[in-house]
Amino acid sequence: MFGFMSTVIQARNLQKHFGRVHALDGLDLDVQPGEIHGFLGPNGAGKSTTIRILLGLARPTGGEATVFGQNSRTDAVSIHCRLAYVPGDVSLWPNLTGGEAIDLLSRLRGIRSRDEYDRRKRHLLDVFELDPSKKGRTYSKGNRQKVALVAAFAVPAELYLLDEPTSGLDPLMEAVFRRELSERVADGGTVLLSSHILSEVEQLCSRVSIIRAGRRVEEGSLAELRRLTRTEVSFSAANLTEADLAGIPAARDVRIDSGRVAFTVDSATLLEALPVLAALRVEGLTITPPSLEELFLRHYGLDRNDAQPPTAAVAAEPAHARHARSGR
Amino acid sequence: MTGLGSLLRQRIRRDRVQVLSWLLAIGALVFFAATALEDNFGGQAQREVLLRLATANPAIVVLRGPPQGADFDALFIFSIFAFLGLLAGLVNTFLAVRHFRAEEETGRAELVAATPIPRLLPLTATLLWGLIVNLLLALMVSGCCVAAGLDVAGSILTGVALGAIGISFLAVGLLASELMLTSRAANGIAAGTVVLAYLARGVGDALGAVSDDGLFVTSAWPSWLSPIGWGLASHPFTANDATPLVLNVGLATVLVASACLLHVRRDSGASVFGAGRGRATARATLSGSLGLAWRLQWPSVIGWALGAALLGAFGGALGTIAGSDGATNPIAEQLRALSGDGESLSQAFLSVIFTAVGILAAGCAVQAVIRARQEEAVTTAELVLAAPVRRVRWLADYLAVGIAAVLIVLIVAAVAASLSAAAVDAEEGAARDAFASALAQLPAALLYLSLVALVFVLWPRFTAPVGWGVLVAGAFLGLFGKLVGLPEWAENLSPFSHTPVALGTEVDWSGGFVMIALALVAGVGASVLLERRDIASM
Ligand SMILES: Nc1ncnc2c1ncn2[C@@H]1O[C@H](COP(=O)(O)OP(=O)(O)O)[C@@H](O)[C@H]1O
Ligand SMILES: [Mg+2]
Repeated sequence: MFGFMSTVIQARNLQKHFGRVHALDGLDLDVQPGEIHGFLGPNGAGKSTTIRILLGLARPTGGEATVFGQNSRTDAVSIHCRLAYVPGDVSLWPNLTGGEAIDLLSRLRGIRSRDEYDRRKRHLLDVFELDPSKKGRTYSKGNRQKVALVAAFAVPAELYLLDEPTSGLDPLMEAVFRRELSERVADGGTVLLSSHILSEVEQLCSRVSIIRAGRRVEEGSLAELRRLTRTEVSFSAANLTEADLAGIPAARDVRIDSGRVAFTVDSATLLEALPVLAALRVEGLTITPPSLEELFLRHYGLDRNDAQPPTAAVAAEPAHARHARSGR
Repeated sequence: MTGLGSLLRQRIRRDRVQVLSWLLAIGALVFFAATALEDNFGGQAQREVLLRLATANPAIVVLRGPPQGADFDALFIFSIFAFLGLLAGLVNTFLAVRHFRAEEETGRAELVAATPIPRLLPLTATLLWGLIVNLLLALMVSGCCVAAGLDVAGSILTGVALGAIGISFLAVGLLASELMLTSRAANGIAAGTVVLAYLARGVGDALGAVSDDGLFVTSAWPSWLSPIGWGLASHPFTANDATPLVLNVGLATVLVASACLLHVRRDSGASVFGAGRGRATARATLSGSLGLAWRLQWPSVIGWALGAALLGAFGGALGTIAGSDGATNPIAEQLRALSGDGESLSQAFLSVIFTAVGILAAGCAVQAVIRARQEEAVTTAELVLAAPVRRVRWLADYLAVGIAAVLIVLIVAAVAASLSAAAVDAEEGAARDAFASALAQLPAALLYLSLVALVFVLWPRFTAPVGWGVLVAGAFLGLFGKLVGLPEWAENLSPFSHTPVALGTEVDWSGGFVMIALALVAGVGASVLLERRDIASM
C-alpha cells in the first residue's frame, strides 16, 4: 500500500487561527508506522485542533498535513477508510442506544467480516463492561467514551486518532484500554494519542511530541527525552562545609533542607559527580532517577522559555526541577 | 426567602424577552381580531349568516368553539377564544419544561440543588413565575378587550378564563417534567396534552346540540374533559359565569401536588418514565448517514404529518359549505382576499387550507436542515464525518430526508382532504383539486429547504433563528401581505407569494418552476461551499 513504509502522519508548519486566537502556530508533527505516538500538551495547546485538521474537519490557515501520504483535506474520504477516531469529548445521539451507535459507526467505516466484527464487539463490550442497550442520553461521560472506544476498536484500522481517550475512564478501565490498544498495535496499527497526563503517555507511548501554545517544543523517544531531564541527588549534610559542596562538578540548585543536602544534575553528567561524592564520604546517599514530569511541567509552566530552544532551556532552568519533583 | 427571590429573578431575567413578546403578540391578536371582526361583521344579519354556516358545519365548530348567539362579543369569543386557549396552554407548558426538565437534563439543576436550599424551592420558583405570567396574560387580554371596546365585565372574565387555562397547563408542564427524562419528551407530552385538550373540546362542541335558530351550540360531554372547554364554558359576555374555572384551578392544584410528591421522592435528573433502554444492536436500516438522518427525524415528521392530516381533513370537509350557501356569503369574500385562488367556494377554501399545509411542509424542510446543524453543534456529525462519508453526501442525506418529509406532509394532506371530501359528499373533483393544491405547495417548500441549507453552510450558528425567522416572515408576507396593505415588492419577497395557482380558471405554474430552479442553484451552492468550511460546533 502506498505510504506504508513511510511516515503515517506528517504535518509541517501548521497554522490555525480562530479570529485573533492562534490555536496552532507553526506546528510540526511526525508519526511513524507502528508507533504509539504520545501527543502531549496542556489544555488549550492545540491538540484537538491538530487532530481535527488531520481528519479534514478543519482547514488549516497555513501549512499542510498529510496522512498516509495523502492530503488530509482533499483525500479525506480515502484516508478515513483506514483510520478510527475517538473524539475528546464524546457526544452520542440521545435516542440511539450505545449498541446502535457502535453498529452505526462501524458500518460507516466498513465491516469486512461480520463474524469477526461480532466477536470483537462482544469481547470489547465485555472487557469495557458496557451495557449496549442504554440510550445515549443516559450514559455518563466515561460510558460515552467507552462507546466511542468500542466503535474504534471493533473494526481494525491502520491508524487510531485518539483525543484524550481516557479522560472519563476509571483506573481499572484505563488498564483495559491500554491492553486493548497494545493489541491493536500488535496487529499493525499506528496510534496518535493526545493527552495532558504524562503518566499515561509514559506507560503507553514509544515516542512523544510535546506541544505548547500551538507549537511542538519537544520530540523524541522516551529514552531521548529522559536524557534531557535532571537527576536529583541528596545526602546527609552532617560534617560538610560550603566549600565541599561548591566542589561538586555540574551540580545545580544546591540547597540544604532539614539536615540534608540536595542538588540536581544533568542525567548525562551524573557520573562526573559521583567520584567527588565518594571522596567526601557522604552518608545516606539517594539518587532519584529522572522523571519526564519535570521536563513536561517545565513546558507547561513557563512562558519565558518560549523564546529559547527547548534543549537549552532544560539546562538553564533547574529551579523548576524542584517544583516538578515535589509533585511526583 | 432570599433563595426563592434569586431563583425567581433568574427565571424572569431569562424569560423576559420571550414572555414579553408572547404577551404582546397575544394582546395584539386579541385587539386586532376584535377590531377586524367589527369591520367585517358589524351587522347582526351578517353575523347570523356566518353562525348558521358554522353550526351547519362541524369542522368550523371544532376549530372555533360553541357559538353563543349572534351578539358581537359572543362572536368574538366564538372566533378566537379556543385558539387563545391553545396558545396560552403552549406558552405555559414550554415555560414549565424550560425551567424544570431542561434544567435537570443539562445538569444545571444539580448545581442549584447542591446549594443549601430546600428541595422544592426551584419548583416553587418556577410555579410562582408561571402564575405571574398567567396573571400578566389575564391583564393583557382583559385590557386589550376593553381597549377594543368590549364590555368590561366580559373582558375581565375572558382574561381570567385564559389565565385559568394557562395555570392548568402550567401544572401539566410541571408534571410532564417529572414524568419524562428529556425536555424534548416532556415538551412533546405536555404540548400534546394541550392539543388534545383543544381537540377534545372540539369534538364535544361539534357533537353538541344546535339550537333551532342555528345560533347556539350546547357542548357535549367531551368538552368537559378539557381545560380549554372549561374556559369556554364560562361563556364570557353571555352567561358570564366563572364557576367552571374552579375546575381549572382544581386540576392545577392536583397536578402540582402530584409533581411535588414525585419530586421529593426521586433523584435529581431521574424521571418516572424513560429509563432509556432500547435495542442492543442496530437494525439493518441504520447503516449509513441517510439511515441516521431518517432515524433522527421520523418522529417529528410524523408530528408534521398528523398536523397535515388534520388540516387536510378539515379542508376537505369544508367542501359542503359550498353547497349550503352560494358564493355570496361573507366568508367567500374573506377567502378570496386571502388567496385569490379558485373558482368555486370550496376551491377557495381548499386553496387557503393548502396554503397552511404548504407552510407546514416548509416548516418540515426548515427543521430537516436545522437537524443537520444540531448534529454539527453537538459534535455527533464529527463521528460520522470522521468515517469515510463525503461531506456533500452527509448534507444531501439530510436534505433527502427533508424532501421526503415534505412529500409525506403534502401527500398525507391531499389524501386526508380527498377522504373527508368523499365522506361529506363534496362536489366532484375534490380529490383532484386536493392533489393539485398539494403539488402546488412543493416548490416553496423545496426553496426553503435549500435556502436554509445555504444559511447552514455559510452562517451555521444562525441556521435555526434564520430558518424559523424566514419561515414566519414568509408566511406572514405571503398570507397577510395583501390584507394589511404591504407594497407588492414586500409581498413578492415571500416564496409563498409565488406558489403556483393550481385551481380555478387562471392556472399558472410558472412561479413553481422558477422556485425549483432557484432551489437547485442554492442546493448546489450549499454543497460546494460546505467543502470549504470547517465542521465546528461553534
Ligand atoms: N472553534 C474554535 N473557535 C475559537 N477558538 C477555538 C476553537 N477551537 C479551538 N479554539 C481555541 O484554540 C486553542 C486550542 O484548542 P484545542 O485544540 O481544543 O486544545 P487542546 O485540545 O490541546 O486542549 C484554545 O485556545 C481554544 O480556545
Ligand atoms: Mg482537546
